[in-house]
Amino acid sequence: MKRLGIISLFVLLFIGFITIWHFSYKQGLEEAYVPIVKEESITLIPSEQGVFRRSEHALDYAKMPIDEKHQRSLDDYYDNRAFHGAPPSIPHEINGERNMGGISCLKCHENGGYVSKLSAYAPVTPHPEMVNCRQCHVPENTETLFRDSNFEKAPAPLAGINNALMGSPPVIPHQIQMRENCLSCHAGPSAPKEIRVSHPERINCRQCHVPNNKEVKDIGIFKRDNNE
Amino acid sequence: MDNSLTNRRSFIKKMAMLSAMAAAATMFPGIMFASEQEEGLPKGKDLDWKKTPCRFCGVGCGVLVGIENGKAVAVKGDPKSPVNKGLCCVKGYHSVISIYGKDRLTHPWVKKNGKYVKTTMKEALDLIASKMQTTIKEHGKDSVSIYGSGQWTIPDGYVASKLFKGCIGTNNVEANARLCMASAVTGFMTSFGIDEPMGCYDDIDHANAFILWGNNMAEMHPVLFSRILDQRQKRGVKIIDFATRTTRTSMASDKSIIFKPQTDLAVANAICYEIINNGWVNKSFVEKHCNFKKGLTDMGYGLEDNYKFKDKPEGINFEEFKTFLEDYSPEKVEKLSGVSAKDIKYMAAYYGDPNVKVMSLWCMGPNQHTRGTWMNNLIYNIHLLTGKISTPGNSPFSLTGQPSACGTVREVGTLTHKLPHGVVMNKKHREHAAHIWDVPVENIPSKPTYHTVEMFRALDRGDIRFMWIQVTNPMVTMPKLKRYRDATKKEGRFIVVSDIYPTPTTDIADVILPSAMWIEREGMYGNSERRTQQFDQLIDPPGEAMSDTWQLVEVAKRLGFEKQFYYKEENHIEEIYNEYRRHHEGKKHNMAPYEVLKSQPGAQWPYVDGKSTKWRFNAEYDPACSNGKDFHFYGKPDGKAIIWQRPYEPAPEEPDNEYPFWLCTGRVIEHWHTGSMTRRIPVLHKAVPHAYVELNPEQAKQMQINTGDKVKLTSRRGSVVLPASVSERGVPVKNSVFVPFFDENLLINDITLDAFCPISKQPDYKKCAVKVEKV
Repeated sequence: MKRLGIISLFVLLFIGFITIWHFSYKQGLEEAYVPIVKEESITLIPSEQGVFRRSEHALDYAKMPIDEKHQRSLDDYYDNRAFHGAPPSIPHEINGERNMGGISCLKCHENGGYVSKLSAYAPVTPHPEMVNCRQCHVPENTETLFRDSNFEKAPAPLAGINNALMGSPPVIPHQIQMRENCLSCHAGPSAPKEIRVSHPERINCRQCHVPNNKEVKDIGIFKRDNNE
Repeated sequence: MDNSLTNRRSFIKKMAMLSAMAAAATMFPGIMFASEQEEGLPKGKDLDWKKTPCRFCGVGCGVLVGIENGKAVAVKGDPKSPVNKGLCCVKGYHSVISIYGKDRLTHPWVKKNGKYVKTTMKEALDLIASKMQTTIKEHGKDSVSIYGSGQWTIPDGYVASKLFKGCIGTNNVEANARLCMASAVTGFMTSFGIDEPMGCYDDIDHANAFILWGNNMAEMHPVLFSRILDQRQKRGVKIIDFATRTTRTSMASDKSIIFKPQTDLAVANAICYEIINNGWVNKSFVEKHCNFKKGLTDMGYGLEDNYKFKDKPEGINFEEFKTFLEDYSPEKVEKLSGVSAKDIKYMAAYYGDPNVKVMSLWCMGPNQHTRGTWMNNLIYNIHLLTGKISTPGNSPFSLTGQPSACGTVREVGTLTHKLPHGVVMNKKHREHAAHIWDVPVENIPSKPTYHTVEMFRALDRGDIRFMWIQVTNPMVTMPKLKRYRDATKKEGRFIVVSDIYPTPTTDIADVILPSAMWIEREGMYGNSERRTQQFDQLIDPPGEAMSDTWQLVEVAKRLGFEKQFYYKEENHIEEIYNEYRRHHEGKKHNMAPYEVLKSQPGAQWPYVDGKSTKWRFNAEYDPACSNGKDFHFYGKPDGKAIIWQRPYEPAPEEPDNEYPFWLCTGRVIEHWHTGSMTRRIPVLHKAVPHAYVELNPEQAKQMQINTGDKVKLTSRRGSVVLPASVSERGVPVKNSVFVPFFDENLLINDITLDAFCPISKQPDYKKCAVKVEKV
């Protein structure tokens, strides 16, 4: 009995060995592969709500003295745009034609500041996250035209006439797509003098200033059709 | 120390104030009453914003055009468009200005005794119809032809095809997309049996690596490139620029790899070699969904008249394919291509890693290539071997350059061998088209006639006597231009040109017709991601200008085809579209109903059960998959895609001692095509007023050439003098130069070569040999 027990133990061990060896041999024959990582979905926040951007500078804007000698006017502002709302062209010399923009433009146009070479404050871009600047902004390399144009530049909205009541906050008379960040143009030393806000520290601009453009269709007056 | 303390103190103060203000803003909502405030404002000052796809490139951005007093005055991106999500490029933003050039054509002109005489639309159309009739009577049906464009709207191309193929009975229908997309089409047809990308732009939001094959995307497809840059900021994706010259795209990418012209064929094969030798092949995908084939080699380059080629595909097995690739180890290809073995392995590793989703993007680089079909096949090979296809983020994506190269030329089929559904060689396809067109099936000839280059050669020889050119400018864009310009001036040729401005092509016309442009008429375009986009007529065309569609309908009626051209002027676009949709019925290519197109910024075919299909061939997304498996390449009879054995072959004309430089031509971001529209936009013209030749800075220094100096380029076809551009927008490698082709005053195509891909018949504008001299 004892001997039988020992023999069966060894037989079991042997069978175990064969099974394990066979399994690992088969595994070894399989080709190596990279396990596929299960993908996690990423939710991207839409970049449209830029109104609070730059608000960390709001108090600095409020305290900043006005440099009257180097102010821009609204006419200057509209001058290098084909129509109001068009991307402005680049009015100064640039180096690096091979560059799409990015940091070369942002080093002045992200936060602004005085440029002594041009005796002006660099305007601040409302969309610094869009780095292919030269996709929309091009320089002027000649004064002449290929052919004359009959395109009529529609008059740009004026400042100071957009209040409904005396003293009420003016509505926004222009498109705000790509320009949702109000402070970049309406505050700081590069802001055109006519549209510089007197209260940059009140950062929730659209609490009081509402857009005035026809984005929605009139659906008529709602009428109840019960009872009467 | 003092200083920093106050700073910290003031910082804390500021923070407290800011958070108090933000809190106040949320605590007292509704302080202002917007509607009351607006009531006091003057009314009617606002613009009316109307949707349309952009007029320019094949990306197909949705734009909103601001209309005031019947004039287009402003443009902004359509935030609702899934293509561009509200962003445009500089051309798009200024696009409406191109409508208002002072020299717009407003009346037809007819050449009488060498002088152009102003005439009325009615007389001009009568003349065209009678000229067509007499030409057909004297020289046969195949002596009249139409040469259209990837800028044709869908109805333009459809009525052209119906008139010429169905009614007149000639396959002399071609379009400039032959010069731009033909290799992409034959690439799709040979690899998958059905045209156009399986993926869509949404792939950009899923992919981890972007490999750009000879594609200067930062300038040519800027809106899509900006979408990639946005993904890089948010998710850290990688961009690899694989090109022959250093551009803005190279500067913006994570890695720039430069190869010698034509050797992309070898590098693509080397990537396949690496994938196989590292065991990165997705075996189950390849076994279930792919076949291996080889075709003829040493095909020639089509340089001689009446050149013919027909491929003879032959099945091979995986082992044979593997043996073939042994000539393309990275080490061997390094010597040929100038790309280091390390860089080849680097690219292959992205494709090989199953956890990296790769999007390959290309446009004119692989397409304008004497082995263009092969190049397209090779990129698909890489994606098929690794199974990285037809799933979100895994996408070989062939971009287009014209707004409706896909929608009109490829889908309506305005090429000599094509029909709206299928090809002229197939009896069933002819019957299907003849039935819808309401013409006898015998009308449609079963043999294709001339592809674009051969069509102009036939005009030169006198086989073609009448040509109607619409929405394109071949007298700037044809390769080896001088021969074809001279051809049009020969005795007994009659050329009609429909355009909006005087161009070098209207200069050779016998009749010039003024066309209504873009939003001056109703129409639709189809972009690269199978999206069909409709636009209404938003403004009136000037003078007697008429849409290309209606010009063709008027002539068709005069030729006696009133029955087939029954359309009413008020709603002919809708009628034509509804008729056209019938050609594509079925789950594989169903087009969205017209109401749907009118209501939203486009819909992607196959449009089945009220839904666009984003990823074709994938059973999860594509209702046309019917084999019960995860993927179904239903373009081929057995449902399997083909991996092609395609070798490297040299270019027809490579630099030698006499002509030691490669010449490559292309575009710049500011100008689109031949500049006939963009040069009339002051902002764009002022940015790039003329063409130039880019030189390698080191060589320019040796040759004592500075930016602006006059440089003479000479090829075996002729010569042209251009101002030099050294170290500006692009830097070519040594012994190569680059010239943009938009400038009608500096015609670079006078010296390019008219060699083409024998399968697609698309010319190679990227490679010929020139010499460079300072003048």
